[in-house]
Amino acid sequence: MAEENSSASGQPVQNARTEGREMRRQNANDGRWLRLLDHFKREWQLYAMLLPTIIWFLVFLYKPMYGLQIAFKDYSIFRGVSGSPWIGFEHFHTLFSNDQFIRAVKNTIIISFYNLLFGFPAPIILALMFNEVLHASYKKTAQTIVYLPHFISSVIIAGIVITAFSPTAGIINTFISWLGFEPIYFLTQPEWFRPIFVGTGIWQEAGFGSIVFLAAISGVNPSLYESAVVDGANRWQMMWKITVPSILPTILIMLIIRIGNVMEVSFELVMLLYQPSTYATADVVNTWVYRQGLQSGQYDLAAAAGLFNAVVALTLVMTANTLSRRFSRTSLW
Amino acid sequence: MSGVNLSGIVKAYGAVQVVHGIDLDVAEKEFVVLVGPSGCGKSTTLRMVAGLEEISGGELTIDGRFVNRVAPKDRDVAMVFQNYALYPHLNVADNMAFGLRIRKMPKDEIKTTIADVAEILGLTPYLDRRPSDLSGGQRQRVAMGRAIVRHPKVFLFDEPLSNLDAKLRTQMRAEIKRLHKRLGVTSIYVTHDQVEAMTLADRIVVMNDGRIEQVGTPMELFNNPANTFVAGFLGSPPMNQLKGVLTQTGVKVGDAEIKIDGAAAENAGRNVIVGIRPEHVTLQAEGQSSSLPLSLDLVEPLGSEALLHARYGESALVFKVETNGDIDHLSGVSEVHVQPDMVKLFDADTGRALNLGA
Repeated sequence: MAEENSSASGQPVQNARTEGREMRRQNANDGRWLRLLDHFKREWQLYAMLLPTIIWFLVFLYKPMYGLQIAFKDYSIFRGVSGSPWIGFEHFHTLFSNDQFIRAVKNTIIISFYNLLFGFPAPIILALMFNEVLHASYKKTAQTIVYLPHFISSVIIAGIVITAFSPTAGIINTFISWLGFEPIYFLTQPEWFRPIFVGTGIWQEAGFGSIVFLAAISGVNPSLYESAVVDGANRWQMMWKITVPSILPTILIMLIIRIGNVMEVSFELVMLLYQPSTYATADVVNTWVYRQGLQSGQYDLAAAAGLFNAVVALTLVMTANTLSRRFSRTSLW
Repeated sequence: MSGVNLSGIVKAYGAVQVVHGIDLDVAEKEFVVLVGPSGCGKSTTLRMVAGLEEISGGELTIDGRFVNRVAPKDRDVAMVFQNYALYPHLNVADNMAFGLRIRKMPKDEIKTTIADVAEILGLTPYLDRRPSDLSGGQRQRVAMGRAIVRHPKVFLFDEPLSNLDAKLRTQMRAEIKRLHKRLGVTSIYVTHDQVEAMTLADRIVVMNDGRIEQVGTPMELFNNPANTFVAGFLGSPPMNQLKGVLTQTGVKVGDAEIKIDGAAAENAGRNVIVGIRPEHVTLQAEGQSSSLPLSLDLVEPLGSEALLHARYGESALVFKVETNGDIDHLSGVSEVHVQPDMVKLFDADTGRALNLGA
């Protein structure tokens, strides 16, 4: 056996192989760097154009990551990030033993689930509906109307919602009163927060979100429809058998992106619509982090919660991407 | 009688008329090719037959039935598109089954039909593949398979081979011809490629600027083009056309006089266009032939034949001659010879073919 594993010069074969592999890797690395340098010299203008984006990422996304370490430290603003002592996962223990945080995680997941269930299909359905409208001016008018809420500030949107659901002068309660029922204090009752929040999100973003699907629909080869017409398909069949499958890659990409934002429930809108009486269903991770981190000054605990959020989002988006690539040949990367 | 009849078919977009009253009878089982340059209205005419374009005027009947306002699905036609129009999310079998499923054909019957047609087209090993996993030729066969499984009364082909490379195009051309012989379905085929038209058609319809220039069998059109457009469109290279003046014995082209059949004193002095097919000349004088002096520009060897690019006066001419395995002797060519019966004449003003009663 010893002979089999030795080369003629007596050096163990295994070592020789490892060294060979190492040299090849080294050569490959050198080659890669040389190619990159060569490419940089040739296309330096392109790299120059890329520079502002790289700087933006470094300054606003990578540099702040330095501060993430306070999630593992007993942070004090007087001692600074580097001067504060390490305490390991203590903040995470605190988080997961905190009922309010657990509740916030649950609320975030439930609201995100509703957003995915109702909010994600809404722009797709809108785009499919717009695609079926043949009258050009009617189509343009309808599109403009549904795009508009996107351009209105969340504060105004919240103001409209609060006014509409007002128990005294709100249009909803006026309508309920006309039907002979008692007015409902919608925004003070926890069970109404989620439907109102999700509904508001759909109203605000479904129209604008439909643009990307309309663009995908406009990219479908028109001869597919002509071929289907000759084959005898009606508009409904064409929508289900041609349009939807053709835009499926876009739908999946948008779904992956959406899943990556599952833990990022619209902070502004929750802040504007919730109140202590609806915390039970409305308080999400971001609002909890805001109250704990900024209002109570527990920056380290808030950083731990934020890090938890980011890790969950990254895991979800990677899982969704892998599943999508495996089952539909479509993926973000 | 599953023929197609177009009577005074007009297509207009607003005030702009693009097809100006087409009259055409396509007999049952006939293979008719519409050929013409881009924008001549051939595809629009085909799409009107398919029902994909509204007919602005005239009457269209398929199998004796007036179908101007009949939906495409009820015309019993199947169309093969230029870019194949295969559903990218469906595999070959599902692509072929699409139309049958829409028509609610029983599953067993669909399966049998697809298996049969796949066998004919050599697609059986690819039934589970998606279009993106197929070559251009295979995609083209799937597109034809999708049309064939429907067993329609009429096949419509809209430039189906234009996306294929030259070799594959030749191969597919032969396959289409074989299929037509086997299935015997009335077919209308649109192409801008005159070679496709000549090789596939029972009859060719040459179109130009929304009008039919001539209808006839490939050889009728080749031998007796109705006008200078058809003469210049069919044949590769196209017919040489030179300005000339009729004389009592022939036609004067520049300083040369070419003998023609049917020359007569009463026609002398008439301005004409003289048409000579590139392959209808010889390098040696034979019998009654006339010689046409030329100044040779270039010799293009094709193997057994060579193209002589030459000038006569202001006219650029191309002739096709046999090489007999050597092109060296062609570099010294200074004239070609043409027999009187190989010279075509066209009216210089109208471009129409002249028959001098020979």
